[in-house]
Amino acid sequence: MAEEHGWQRVAALADLAPDQPHGAKYGEREIVLASHAGQVFALAGICPHAYALMCDGFMNGSEIECPLHAAAFDIRTGKCLVGPVGTADLATYEVKVEAGEIWVRRNAGE
Amino acid sequence: MFLKNAWYVAANDHEVGRKPLGRVFLNEPVVMYRKEDGTVVALEDRCMHRHLPLSMGKLDGDKLQCHYHGLQYDGTGKCVRIPGQDMVPPTAKIRSYPVVERYHWVWIWMGDPALADPAKIVDYHWLDDENWGARTSYLHVKSNWQLIVDNLLDLTHLAFVHETTIGNSALVDNASVKVTRGPEEVLVTRWIINSPAPPTFVKAGGFTEPVDRWQIIDWRPPAFIRLDVGATPTGTGAPEGKRVGGIEMRNLNAVTPETENTCHYFWGQAHSWDVKNGKLSDMLLSQIQLAFLEDVAVFEAQQRNLDMIKNPPQLDINADTGVIQARRIIDRLRADEQAAMQRPQAAE
Repeated sequence: MAEEHGWQRVAALADLAPDQPHGAKYGEREIVLASHAGQVFALAGICPHAYALMCDGFMNGSEIECPLHAAAFDIRTGKCLVGPVGTADLATYEVKVEAGEIWVRRNAGE
Repeated sequence: MFLKNAWYVAANDHEVGRKPLGRVFLNEPVVMYRKEDGTVVALEDRCMHRHLPLSMGKLDGDKLQCHYHGLQYDGTGKCVRIPGQDMVPPTAKIRSYPVVERYHWVWIWMGDPALADPAKIVDYHWLDDENWGARTSYLHVKSNWQLIVDNLLDLTHLAFVHETTIGNSALVDNASVKVTRGPEEVLVTRWIINSPAPPTFVKAGGFTEPVDRWQIIDWRPPAFIRLDVGATPTGTGAPEGKRVGGIEMRNLNAVTPETENTCHYFWGQAHSWDVKNGKLSDMLLSQIQLAFLEDVAVFEAQQRNLDMIKNPPQLDINADTGVIQARRIIDRLRADEQAAMQRPQAAE
Protein backbone atom coordinates (compact mmCIF):
# COMPACT_ATOMS: atom_id res chain seq x y z
CA MET A 1 0.00 0.00 0.00
CA ALA A 2 1.37 3.37 -0.99
CA GLU A 3 1.84 5.71 1.97
CA GLU A 4 -0.58 8.59 1.73
CA HIS A 5 0.11 12.10 2.87
CA GLY A 6 -2.25 14.30 0.85
CA TRP A 7 -5.41 16.05 1.95
CA GLN A 8 -8.45 13.79 2.22
CA ARG A 9 -12.05 14.58 3.08
CA VAL A 10 -12.86 12.39 6.08
CA ALA A 11 -16.19 13.61 7.46
CA ALA A 12 -18.76 16.38 7.40
CA LEU A 13 -18.58 18.94 10.16
CA ALA A 14 -22.20 18.06 10.94
CA ASP A 15 -21.11 14.49 11.84
CA LEU A 16 -19.29 15.80 14.91
CA ALA A 17 -20.99 16.39 18.23
CA PRO A 18 -19.21 18.72 20.62
CA ASP A 19 -16.99 16.88 23.09
CA GLN A 20 -17.68 13.50 21.51
CA PRO A 21 -15.00 11.62 19.59
CA HIS A 22 -15.89 10.55 16.06
CA GLY A 23 -14.23 7.75 14.13
CA ALA A 24 -13.19 8.13 10.48
CA LYS A 25 -10.77 6.66 7.95
CA TYR A 26 -7.76 8.29 6.36
CA GLY A 27 -7.12 5.88 3.52
CA GLU A 28 -6.80 2.57 5.37
CA ARG A 29 -5.92 4.22 8.65
CA GLU A 30 -8.30 4.60 11.58
CA ILE A 31 -8.40 8.15 12.81
CA VAL A 32 -10.41 9.96 15.45
CA LEU A 33 -11.86 13.44 15.09
CA ALA A 34 -12.68 15.63 18.05
CA SER A 35 -14.24 19.02 18.17
CA HIS A 36 -13.38 21.16 21.15
CA ALA A 37 -13.93 24.88 21.78
CA GLY A 38 -14.97 25.37 18.18
CA GLN A 39 -11.91 23.74 16.68
CA VAL A 40 -11.57 20.33 15.03
CA PHE A 41 -8.64 18.04 15.77
CA ALA A 42 -7.61 14.75 14.16
CA LEU A 43 -5.47 12.04 15.74
CA ALA A 44 -4.50 8.44 15.10
CA GLY A 45 -7.57 6.36 15.97
CA ILE A 46 -6.00 3.36 17.70
CA CYS A 47 -4.64 3.55 21.22
CA PRO A 48 -0.95 2.57 21.19
CA HIS A 49 -1.37 0.74 24.51
CA ALA A 50 -3.79 -2.10 23.66
CA TYR A 51 -5.35 -1.38 20.30
CA ALA A 52 -8.64 0.14 21.44
CA LEU A 53 -10.52 2.36 19.03
CA MET A 54 -10.28 5.89 20.38
CA CYS A 55 -13.60 6.89 18.78
CA ASP A 56 -15.37 4.88 21.53
CA GLY A 57 -13.57 6.86 24.20
CA PHE A 58 -14.44 9.91 26.24
CA MET A 59 -13.62 13.59 25.95
CA ASN A 60 -12.69 15.60 29.03
CA GLY A 61 -12.05 19.18 27.95
CA SER A 62 -9.02 19.10 25.67
CA GLU A 63 -8.25 15.48 26.56
CA ILE A 64 -9.41 12.28 24.92
CA GLU A 65 -9.55 9.17 27.11
CA CYS A 66 -9.19 5.64 25.77
CA PRO A 67 -12.41 3.63 26.28
CA LEU A 68 -10.60 0.67 27.85
CA HIS A 69 -7.63 1.40 30.08
CA ALA A 70 -7.97 5.14 30.67
CA ALA A 71 -4.92 6.43 28.81
CA ALA A 72 -5.53 10.12 28.16
CA PHE A 73 -4.08 12.21 25.36
CA ASP A 74 -4.02 15.92 24.60
CA ILE A 75 -6.15 16.25 21.47
CA ARG A 76 -4.11 19.24 20.30
CA THR A 77 -0.70 17.55 20.44
CA GLY A 78 -1.46 13.82 20.73
CA LYS A 79 0.75 13.70 23.82
CA CYS A 80 -0.04 10.92 26.30
CA LEU A 81 -0.86 12.65 29.60
CA VAL A 82 -1.62 9.65 31.79
CA GLY A 83 -1.97 5.97 31.08
CA PRO A 84 -0.54 2.52 31.42
CA VAL A 85 3.25 2.59 31.60
CA GLY A 86 4.95 3.08 28.27
CA THR A 87 1.92 4.29 26.31
CA ALA A 88 3.17 6.19 23.29
CA ASP A 89 1.68 9.43 21.98
CA LEU A 90 -1.00 9.54 19.26
CA ALA A 91 0.07 10.79 15.85
CA THR A 92 -1.61 14.05 14.89
CA TYR A 93 -3.10 15.11 11.57
CA GLU A 94 -3.42 18.55 10.07
CA VAL A 95 -7.07 19.63 9.78
CA LYS A 96 -8.91 22.12 7.60
CA VAL A 97 -12.65 22.73 7.43
CA GLU A 98 -14.05 23.93 4.09
CA ALA A 99 -17.72 24.37 3.26
CA GLY A 100 -18.77 22.15 6.13
CA GLU A 101 -16.38 19.35 5.15
CA ILE A 102 -13.47 18.15 7.26
CA TRP A 103 -10.19 17.51 5.44
CA VAL A 104 -7.12 16.07 7.06
CA ARG A 105 -3.52 15.42 6.05
CA ARG A 106 -0.85 13.37 7.76
CA ASN A 107 1.76 15.55 9.29
CA ALA A 108 5.15 15.38 7.62
CA GLY A 109 7.44 12.82 9.25
CA GLU A 110 4.57 10.74 10.70
CA MET B 1 -14.04 -8.37 47.45
CA PHE B 2 -17.46 -6.86 47.96
CA LEU B 3 -19.00 -3.45 48.48
CA LYS B 4 -20.48 -3.63 51.97
CA ASN B 5 -22.24 -0.30 52.17
CA ALA B 6 -24.91 -0.96 49.58
CA TRP B 7 -28.42 -2.31 49.39
CA TYR B 8 -28.70 -5.78 47.92
CA VAL B 9 -31.72 -7.87 47.00
CA ALA B 10 -32.00 -10.70 49.53
CA ALA B 11 -35.17 -12.48 48.45
CA ASN B 12 -38.40 -12.34 46.52
CA ASP B 13 -41.06 -11.16 48.98
CA HIS B 14 -43.00 -14.43 48.77
CA GLU B 15 -39.94 -16.47 49.76
CA VAL B 16 -39.84 -14.95 53.24
CA GLY B 17 -42.53 -16.14 55.63
CA ARG B 18 -43.01 -17.92 58.92
CA LYS B 19 -40.43 -20.56 58.06
CA PRO B 20 -36.86 -19.25 58.55
CA LEU B 21 -34.97 -18.81 55.27
CA GLY B 22 -31.18 -19.08 55.40
CA ARG B 23 -29.05 -17.47 52.72
CA VAL B 24 -25.44 -16.29 52.48
CA PHE B 25 -24.66 -12.76 51.32
CA LEU B 26 -21.11 -11.41 50.95
CA ASN B 27 -19.76 -14.46 52.81
CA GLU B 28 -22.08 -13.81 55.79
CA PRO B 29 -24.83 -16.27 56.73
CA VAL B 30 -28.19 -14.52 57.15
CA VAL B 31 -31.55 -15.87 58.29
CA MET B 32 -34.80 -14.11 57.32
CA TYR B 33 -38.35 -14.53 58.56
CA ARG B 34 -41.54 -12.57 59.04
CA LYS B 35 -42.81 -11.52 62.42
CA GLU B 36 -46.47 -12.07 63.22
CA ASP B 37 -47.27 -8.54 62.01
CA GLY B 38 -45.65 -9.37 58.63
CA THR B 39 -42.48 -7.31 58.97
CA VAL B 40 -39.30 -8.95 57.73
CA VAL B 41 -36.38 -9.63 60.06
CA ALA B 42 -32.83 -10.45 58.94
CA LEU B 43 -30.37 -11.80 61.50
CA GLU B 44 -26.97 -13.43 61.50
CA ASP B 45 -27.63 -17.09 60.75
CA ARG B 46 -25.49 -18.45 63.56
CA CYS B 47 -26.38 -19.20 67.14
CA MET B 48 -23.84 -17.52 69.42
CA HIS B 49 -23.67 -20.63 71.54
CA ARG B 50 -22.41 -23.37 69.21
CA HIS B 51 -22.73 -21.79 65.76
CA LEU B 52 -25.58 -23.80 64.32
CA PRO B 53 -27.44 -21.91 61.56
CA LEU B 54 -30.58 -20.50 63.17
CA SER B 55 -32.39 -21.13 59.89
CA MET B 56 -32.50 -24.78 61.00
CA GLY B 57 -34.62 -23.70 63.94
CA LYS B 58 -38.23 -22.58 64.22
CA LEU B 59 -40.30 -19.59 65.21
CA ASP B 60 -41.97 -19.13 68.57
CA GLY B 61 -44.13 -16.06 68.02
CA ASP B 62 -41.66 -13.39 66.88
CA LYS B 63 -38.71 -15.22 68.42
CA LEU B 64 -36.37 -17.53 66.56
CA GLN B 65 -35.41 -20.69 68.43
CA CYS B 66 -32.18 -22.55 67.75
CA HIS B 67 -32.60 -26.17 66.69
CA TYR B 68 -29.68 -27.33 68.85
CA HIS B 69 -30.19 -26.23 72.50
CA GLY B 70 -33.29 -24.08 72.15
CA LEU B 71 -31.78 -20.63 72.67
CA GLN B 72 -34.25 -17.96 71.54
CA TYR B 73 -33.51 -14.65 69.83
CA ASP B 74 -35.85 -11.70 69.32
CA GLY B 75 -36.19 -9.72 66.08
CA THR B 76 -33.29 -7.43 67.02
CA GLY B 77 -30.89 -10.36 67.47
CA LYS B 78 -30.91 -10.24 71.27
CA CYS B 79 -30.89 -13.62 73.00
CA VAL B 80 -33.94 -13.64 75.27
CA ARG B 81 -34.04 -17.23 76.51
CA ILE B 82 -31.50 -19.88 77.41
CA PRO B 83 -33.22 -23.13 78.45
CA GLY B 84 -32.09 -24.37 81.86
CA GLN B 85 -30.89 -21.02 83.21
CA ASP B 86 -32.62 -17.83 84.25
CA MET B 87 -29.87 -15.42 83.37
CA VAL B 88 -29.10 -14.38 79.79
CA PRO B 89 -25.66 -12.74 79.43
CA PRO B 90 -25.99 -9.19 78.05
CA THR B 91 -23.35 -10.02 75.43
CA ALA B 92 -25.65 -12.66 73.94
CA LYS B 93 -26.64 -10.80 70.81
CA ILE B 94 -26.25 -11.67 67.15
CA ARG B 95 -26.08 -9.19 64.33
CA SER B 96 -29.27 -7.84 62.79
CA TYR B 97 -29.38 -6.30 59.34
CA PRO B 98 -31.51 -3.42 58.05
CA VAL B 99 -34.16 -4.69 55.61
CA VAL B 100 -36.71 -2.96 53.40
CA GLU B 101 -39.47 -4.51 51.32
CA ARG B 102 -39.84 -2.78 47.99
CA TYR B 103 -40.83 -3.73 44.42
CA HIS B 104 -41.72 -7.29 45.58
CA TRP B 105 -38.15 -7.78 46.72
CA VAL B 106 -36.64 -7.86 50.21
CA TRP B 107 -33.58 -5.58 50.30
CA ILE B 108 -30.77 -5.97 52.82
CA TRP B 109 -27.94 -3.67 53.92
CA MET B 110 -24.78 -5.63 54.75
CA GLY B 111 -22.57 -2.70 55.78
CA ASP B 112 -22.63 -0.07 58.53
CA PRO B 113 -26.31 0.12 59.64
CA ALA B 114 -25.94 3.86 60.33
CA LEU B 115 -25.50 4.42 56.59
CA ALA B 116 -28.53 2.37 55.49
CA ASP B 117 -30.72 4.96 53.78
CA PRO B 118 -33.75 3.41 52.00
CA ALA B 119 -33.76 6.40 49.62
CA LYS B 120 -30.63 4.88 48.06
CA ILE B 121 -32.51 1.78 46.87
CA VAL B 122 -32.35 1.66 43.08
CA ASP B 123 -35.71 2.18 41.35
CA TYR B 124 -37.37 -1.02 40.17
CA HIS B 125 -40.95 0.26 40.21
CA TRP B 126 -41.80 -1.57 36.97
CA LEU B 127 -42.10 -4.74 39.07
CA ASP B 128 -44.85 -3.14 41.16
CA ASP B 129 -46.68 -0.72 38.89
CA GLU B 130 -50.22 -1.13 37.56
CA ASN B 131 -49.12 0.38 34.23
CA TRP B 132 -46.82 -2.58 33.65
CA GLY B 133 -47.18 -6.35 33.61
CA ALA B 134 -44.30 -8.08 35.37
CA ARG B 135 -42.90 -11.33 36.74
CA THR B 136 -39.76 -12.06 38.74
CA SER B 137 -37.45 -15.04 38.93
CA TYR B 138 -34.33 -16.21 40.74
CA LEU B 139 -31.27 -18.17 39.70
CA HIS B 140 -28.44 -19.40 41.87
CA VAL B 141 -25.19 -19.07 39.92
CA LYS B 142 -21.83 -20.68 40.62
CA SER B 143 -19.76 -17.74 39.44
CA ASN B 144 -18.46 -14.43 40.69
CA TRP B 145 -21.16 -11.73 40.55
CA GLN B 146 -19.15 -9.43 38.30
CA LEU B 147 -19.26 -11.93 35.42
CA ILE B 148 -23.02 -11.32 35.28
CA VAL B 149 -22.59 -7.55 35.31
CA ASP B 150 -20.08 -7.87 32.46
CA ASN B 151 -22.57 -9.97 30.50
CA LEU B 152 -25.46 -7.52 30.81
CA LEU B 153 -23.34 -4.49 30.00
CA ASP B 154 -22.18 -5.98 26.72
CA LEU B 155 -25.11 -7.35 24.76
CA THR B 156 -23.05 -8.22 21.71
CA HIS B 157 -23.10 -11.76 23.16
CA LEU B 158 -26.76 -12.06 22.14
CA ALA B 159 -25.80 -13.00 18.60
CA PHE B 160 -23.67 -15.91 19.83
CA VAL B 161 -24.85 -17.25 23.17
CA HIS B 162 -28.51 -16.76 22.29
CA GLU B 163 -28.37 -17.67 18.62
CA THR B 164 -31.48 -19.84 18.92
CA THR B 165 -33.41 -17.85 21.55
CA ILE B 166 -33.31 -14.05 21.69
CA GLY B 167 -30.25 -13.58 19.45
CA ASN B 168 -30.28 -10.96 16.76
CA SER B 169 -27.21 -10.07 14.74
CA ALA B 170 -28.75 -6.75 13.65
CA LEU B 171 -28.27 -5.56 17.20
CA VAL B 172 -24.54 -6.11 16.89
CA ASP B 173 -23.82 -5.22 13.30
CA ASN B 174 -26.18 -2.39 12.37
CA ALA B 175 -26.40 -0.52 15.59
CA SER B 176 -24.97 2.73 16.81
CA VAL B 177 -23.69 2.32 20.36
CA LYS B 178 -22.76 5.01 22.81
CA VAL B 179 -21.35 4.62 26.29
CA THR B 180 -21.85 7.45 28.76
CA ARG B 181 -20.84 7.48 32.40
CA GLY B 182 -21.45 9.37 35.60
CA PRO B 183 -19.76 9.11 39.00
CA GLU B 184 -21.94 6.09 39.91
CA GLU B 185 -23.61 5.16 36.65
CA VAL B 186 -22.86 3.71 33.24
CA LEU B 187 -25.29 3.88 30.33
CA VAL B 188 -24.85 1.88 27.14
CA THR B 189 -27.27 3.11 24.50
CA ARG B 190 -27.88 1.26 21.27
CA TRP B 191 -30.20 2.44 18.50
CA ILE B 192 -31.26 0.68 15.32
CA ILE B 193 -33.09 3.21 13.23
CA ASN B 194 -35.55 2.33 10.46
CA SER B 195 -35.23 -1.44 10.48
CA PRO B 196 -37.83 -4.17 10.04
CA ALA B 197 -39.40 -5.20 13.34
CA PRO B 198 -38.29 -8.68 14.45
CA PRO B 199 -41.01 -11.36 14.65
CA THR B 200 -41.54 -11.12 18.42
CA PHE B 201 -42.05 -7.37 18.14
CA VAL B 202 -44.44 -7.77 15.21
CA LYS B 203 -46.48 -10.23 17.24
CA ALA B 204 -46.55 -8.01 20.31
CA GLY B 205 -46.79 -4.56 18.76
CA GLY B 206 -48.61 -5.28 15.49
CA PHE B 207 -46.00 -3.32 13.50
CA THR B 208 -46.47 -3.26 9.72
CA GLU B 209 -43.90 -0.54 8.96
CA PRO B 210 -40.19 -0.29 9.84
CA VAL B 211 -39.35 0.62 13.41
CA ASP B 212 -36.77 2.46 15.49
CA ARG B 213 -35.46 0.10 18.15
CA TRP B 214 -33.55 0.88 21.28
CA GLN B 215 -31.68 -1.03 23.91
CA ILE B 216 -30.56 1.10 26.83
CA ILE B 217 -28.51 -0.55 29.56
CA ASP B 218 -28.42 1.31 32.84
CA TRP B 219 -25.94 0.06 35.43
CA ARG B 220 -25.73 1.27 39.03
CA PRO B 221 -23.29 -0.10 41.57
CA PRO B 222 -22.75 -2.70 42.70
CA ALA B 223 -24.83 -4.91 40.40
CA PHE B 224 -28.09 -3.31 39.32
CA ILE B 225 -28.65 -3.55 35.59
CA ARG B 226 -31.90 -2.28 34.13
CA LEU B 227 -32.44 -2.86 30.41
CA ASP B 228 -34.89 -0.63 28.60
CA VAL B 229 -35.79 -2.18 25.23
CA GLY B 230 -38.50 -1.39 22.75
CA ALA B 231 -39.57 -0.13 19.36
CA THR B 232 -41.81 2.53 17.87
CA PRO B 233 -42.71 3.21 14.22
CA THR B 234 -39.85 4.97 12.45
CA GLY B 235 -40.08 8.72 12.41
CA THR B 236 -42.36 9.09 15.43
CA GLY B 237 -39.61 10.54 17.60
CA ALA B 238 -38.34 7.79 19.91
CA PRO B 239 -34.65 8.78 19.53
CA GLU B 240 -35.65 12.27 20.68
CA GLY B 241 -37.43 10.83 23.71
CA LYS B 242 -41.03 10.67 22.46
CA ARG B 243 -42.28 7.11 22.60
CA VAL B 244 -45.66 6.67 20.92
CA GLY B 245 -47.41 3.78 19.19
CA GLY B 246 -44.86 1.19 20.20
CA ILE B 247 -43.98 -1.38 22.82
CA GLU B 248 -41.50 -1.35 25.65
CA MET B 249 -40.01 -3.91 27.99
CA ARG B 250 -37.78 -3.71 31.01
CA ASN B 251 -35.40 -6.51 31.85
CA LEU B 252 -34.54 -5.87 35.48
CA ASN B 253 -31.54 -7.48 37.09
CA ALA B 254 -30.10 -7.39 40.59
CA VAL B 255 -27.14 -9.57 41.44
CA THR B 256 -26.16 -10.22 45.06
CA PRO B 257 -22.83 -11.86 45.85
CA GLU B 258 -23.07 -15.00 47.95
CA THR B 259 -19.35 -15.85 48.07
CA GLU B 260 -16.48 -14.80 45.81
CA ASN B 261 -17.42 -17.61 43.43
CA THR B 262 -21.21 -17.82 43.76
CA CYS B 263 -24.09 -15.37 43.62
CA HIS B 264 -27.84 -14.86 43.77
CA TYR B 265 -29.30 -13.63 40.52
CA PHE B 266 -32.66 -11.89 41.00
CA TRP B 267 -34.34 -10.68 37.85
CA GLY B 268 -37.67 -9.74 36.40
CA GLN B 269 -39.32 -8.89 33.12
CA ALA B 270 -41.88 -6.10 32.68
CA HIS B 271 -43.94 -5.23 29.61
CA SER B 272 -45.85 -2.08 28.66
CA TRP B 273 -48.66 -3.63 26.61
CA ASP B 274 -51.54 -5.93 27.57
CA VAL B 275 -50.43 -5.43 31.16
CA LYS B 276 -53.25 -7.42 32.77
CA ASN B 277 -52.52 -10.49 30.66
CA GLY B 278 -50.83 -12.82 33.14
CA LYS B 279 -50.28 -15.48 30.48
CA LEU B 280 -48.25 -12.94 28.48
CA SER B 281 -46.19 -12.03 31.57
CA ASP B 282 -45.52 -15.73 32.18
CA MET B 283 -44.62 -16.35 28.54
CA LEU B 284 -42.14 -13.45 28.40
CA LEU B 285 -40.53 -14.53 31.66
CA SER B 286 -40.11 -18.12 30.52
CA GLN B 287 -38.64 -17.05 27.15
CA ILE B 288 -36.06 -14.84 28.82
CA GLN B 289 -35.38 -17.52 31.43
CA LEU B 290 -34.38 -19.93 28.63
CA ALA B 291 -31.86 -17.37 27.41
CA PHE B 292 -30.62 -16.68 30.94
CA LEU B 293 -29.96 -20.38 31.49
CA GLU B 294 -27.72 -20.19 28.42
CA ASP B 295 -25.89 -17.32 30.13
CA VAL B 296 -25.56 -19.21 33.41
CA ALA B 297 -23.80 -22.06 31.56
CA VAL B 298 -21.33 -19.44 30.30
CA PHE B 299 -20.76 -17.81 33.73
CA GLU B 300 -20.11 -21.12 35.45
CA ALA B 301 -17.70 -22.29 32.74
CA GLN B 302 -15.84 -18.97 32.91
CA GLN B 303 -15.58 -19.36 36.68
CA ARG B 304 -14.19 -22.90 36.38
CA ASN B 305 -11.42 -21.55 34.16
CA LEU B 306 -10.74 -18.62 36.47
CA ASP B 307 -10.53 -21.03 39.43
CA MET B 308 -7.85 -23.05 37.64
CA ILE B 309 -5.82 -20.19 36.20
CA LYS B 310 -5.29 -17.34 38.66
CA ASN B 311 -5.23 -13.87 37.06
CA PRO B 312 -4.81 -15.01 33.46
CA PRO B 313 -3.89 -12.42 30.86
CA GLN B 314 -7.06 -10.86 29.48
CA LEU B 315 -7.88 -9.22 26.18
CA ASP B 316 -10.18 -6.21 26.29
CA ILE B 317 -12.06 -5.27 23.13
CA ASN B 318 -14.02 -2.16 22.29
CA ALA B 319 -17.35 -3.77 23.20
CA ASP B 320 -16.00 -3.89 26.78
CA THR B 321 -16.12 -0.12 27.15
CA GLY B 322 -19.21 -0.16 29.41
CA VAL B 323 -17.95 -3.20 31.33
CA ILE B 324 -14.60 -1.57 32.05
CA GLN B 325 -16.12 1.75 33.11
CA ALA B 326 -18.41 -0.08 35.56
CA ARG B 327 -15.53 -2.10 36.99
CA ARG B 328 -13.50 1.07 37.47
CA ILE B 329 -16.36 2.67 39.42
CA ILE B 330 -16.66 -0.46 41.59
CA ASP B 331 -12.91 -0.45 42.25
CA ARG B 332 -13.04 3.22 43.23
CA LEU B 333 -16.03 2.77 45.57
CA ARG B 334 -14.38 -0.26 47.15
CA ALA B 335 -11.13 1.63 47.71
CA ASP B 336 -13.10 4.51 49.29
CA GLU B 337 -14.92 2.08 51.55
CA GLN B 338 -11.69 0.35 52.60
CA ALA B 339 -10.08 3.71 53.36
CA ALA B 340 -13.07 4.79 55.46
CA MET B 341 -12.98 1.54 57.44
CA GLN B 342 -9.29 1.94 58.22
CA ARG B 343 -9.65 5.39 59.76
CA PRO B 344 -8.65 5.40 63.48
CA GLN B 345 -12.17 5.80 64.92
CA ALA B 346 -13.01 2.38 63.51
CA ALA B 347 -10.62 0.82 66.05
CA GLU B 348 -12.42 -0.65 69.04
